[in-house]
Amino acid sequence: MSQAAAVHKRTAPVIGRAAVVETATTDPPWLRARRDEAWSIYQATPMPSTRSEEWRYTDLARKLRLDELVVADGDRGPGAGAGTVLPDALRQTMDQDRDGAGRIVEVDGKVVSVELDESLARQGVELASLRDAARQGDGDIQRLLATEAVPASDGKFPALNAALWSDGVFLRIPRGVHVERPIRLSRWVSRPGNATFTRILIVAETSSRLSFVEEILSPDFDRTTLVNSAVEVFARGGAQVQYVSLQRLGHGGFYLANQRTLAERDSTLDTLNVALGGSVGRVDLNARLLGPGANSDMLGLYFGDTEQHFDFNTSQDHVSPSAHSDLLYKGALDGSARGVFRGIIRVHEGAQGTDAYQTNRNLILSDDAIATSLPNLEIEADDVRCSHGATVGQLDAEALFYLMSRGLTRGKAERLVVLGFLGEVLARLPMGGVVEKVTNAIVAKLRNV
Amino acid sequence: MDNAPILNVAALRAKVADEDLEILKGVDLTIKPGEIHAIMGPNGSGKSTLAKVIAGHPAYEPTGGSVYFGGEDLLDMEPDERAQAGVFMAFQYPVEIPGVSIANFLRTALRARLEEDEELDLFDFQELLMDRMELLEMDPSFAQRPVNDGFSGGEKKRNEILQMAVLKPSLAVMDETDSGLDIDALKIVANGVNTLKRESPGKSVLLITHYQRILNHISPDVVHVMVDGRIVESGGPEVALELEARGYEEYRKAHAA
Repeated sequence: MSQAAAVHKRTAPVIGRAAVVETATTDPPWLRARRDEAWSIYQATPMPSTRSEEWRYTDLARKLRLDELVVADGDRGPGAGAGTVLPDALRQTMDQDRDGAGRIVEVDGKVVSVELDESLARQGVELASLRDAARQGDGDIQRLLATEAVPASDGKFPALNAALWSDGVFLRIPRGVHVERPIRLSRWVSRPGNATFTRILIVAETSSRLSFVEEILSPDFDRTTLVNSAVEVFARGGAQVQYVSLQRLGHGGFYLANQRTLAERDSTLDTLNVALGGSVGRVDLNARLLGPGANSDMLGLYFGDTEQHFDFNTSQDHVSPSAHSDLLYKGALDGSARGVFRGIIRVHEGAQGTDAYQTNRNLILSDDAIATSLPNLEIEADDVRCSHGATVGQLDAEALFYLMSRGLTRGKAERLVVLGFLGEVLARLPMGGVVEKVTNAIVAKLRNV
Repeated sequence: MDNAPILNVAALRAKVADEDLEILKGVDLTIKPGEIHAIMGPNGSGKSTLAKVIAGHPAYEPTGGSVYFGGEDLLDMEPDERAQAGVFMAFQYPVEIPGVSIANFLRTALRARLEEDEELDLFDFQELLMDRMELLEMDPSFAQRPVNDGFSGGEKKRNEILQMAVLKPSLAVMDETDSGLDIDALKIVANGVNTLKRESPGKSVLLITHYQRILNHISPDVVHVMVDGRIVESGGPEVALELEARGYEEYRKAHAA
């Protein structure tokens, strides 16, 4: 018994240098070096505080005690986790997914299964555990992992993730290959008090096509449980990529994601972030438009109730001239939930002919819910079309009466208005299965109201 | 029993909910099944307020009298309960509901009328909706548009008529549905009401209007004149013609005297 306890203790360290060393045990030297460097950056970087503009409304010092967390022992060597019995809740949501071209399942920070259509594999599509792929010495991974998109130097949590990531997804679509059905990542986190660090690296080569849908679930937790992820998406010239993230953690879940998309010439790189679960969710999304004709639609949807806290920090970097980006984030807030949106459009010097838009709309359903919206522009070119707008509104009494006068109860009327309000976001990216799943999740939350 | 009124308003008084402003000052009105009544009156006479009090609008507060619908005390009921009992109000200013299609809205409204263990058959619903749209000469694509979102004035009113045609109320209150409409749109609204009346002669209609012109297209059984929160004259269609010829001024003076 004491031996088992000792083993458990050794494989479940707190956040610290020892955890980095242990996580890196089976890594190739370049990756070990990269983790070490990331850890140094982490140590040298102060914890974000509410004194900084970007973290003003999410008080990490109060909401997150890193020293109380245990690092998820996701890595148990190559091939570990195969044959893992999946929990019912994860099974159920996977069963609701429509037909896909591939699926990767991740449990407590470790990939447990990878499936990919044989025909796609034959065309050179690679879908793999990021850890396994990194160990096998893939050149793209060494070149692109935590370097160009979400490097450790980006901040405290990007650094922590680069030092401690246990696994994740590597997906590469070769030049000209069209993946018509979505590739899915289904994630499950089960251990209360754990901190899980994973990454996603997607490379869509020239003129390829891809839809990627990530969904994360967990049970309710009796204490803070951290899920940290770094998402790096590269769309090479003319590629068309959609990245969708559904966050459906249970109570106690603390979700921190750093996402960066890099869109090259004539590529389309669209994202959708849906936040429904967890106690705290913070997403930092940076879209970089790197070539003329690049286009990013950035969509977001959040619905908070009880004391949920959602914070989105977005930026649209127009580095290249003649690129287009359009952001729409909509949220509904009930109970004493809090929603924060802070977005900035940066038009860099020389980025003439930029088209960039940013809209954030909030619907407040109770007296105690709060929405904060901070849209921003930073323009260093003169020939641009940019606009931003933000609204915070309440349920319209006249609209409710209108619906009730047709026989709907107050509850049903409210539900319809909220679904219509949020549904506008889903209608912009009508991906098979996602719309139904998100709609059902919203309806389930509205029933609790 | 056939002649029992469908709507019985007696000595009804009502005020603006947040203010000390009385608008209805004792309204009496009895409508029998199958009858079309028109209430005409100048701006501010309270005719729209009467429609809203019947439908249960929260901006108005009844302060006296009674409104019975069939045997039920309407003033005791929530707006959705009144709708389920068979009251329908076509809005003067229909509200936009972004992101909710007309079809979805009507499906939800019909579902709300079912018992807990009943299911709405979606094929039956589709058939009903298509049938109603054909009856009103509407394009089927109309049902897929978000409710009143970006609609022209005429489209909004047609949407009201479509909802009435699908929900088949026993009493339809048309709250100045004709105002702001050009003659073509007016005819469409009038045809809708007439078509439904032909289909179900037992249904009753209460037309609230400022203008006589809609009465050229819908023939009322009874015309009432409302001035300063009271009905001051009731009679046949000739009342409307008289009013058209002489204006409201005379009634106003007579009432003030």
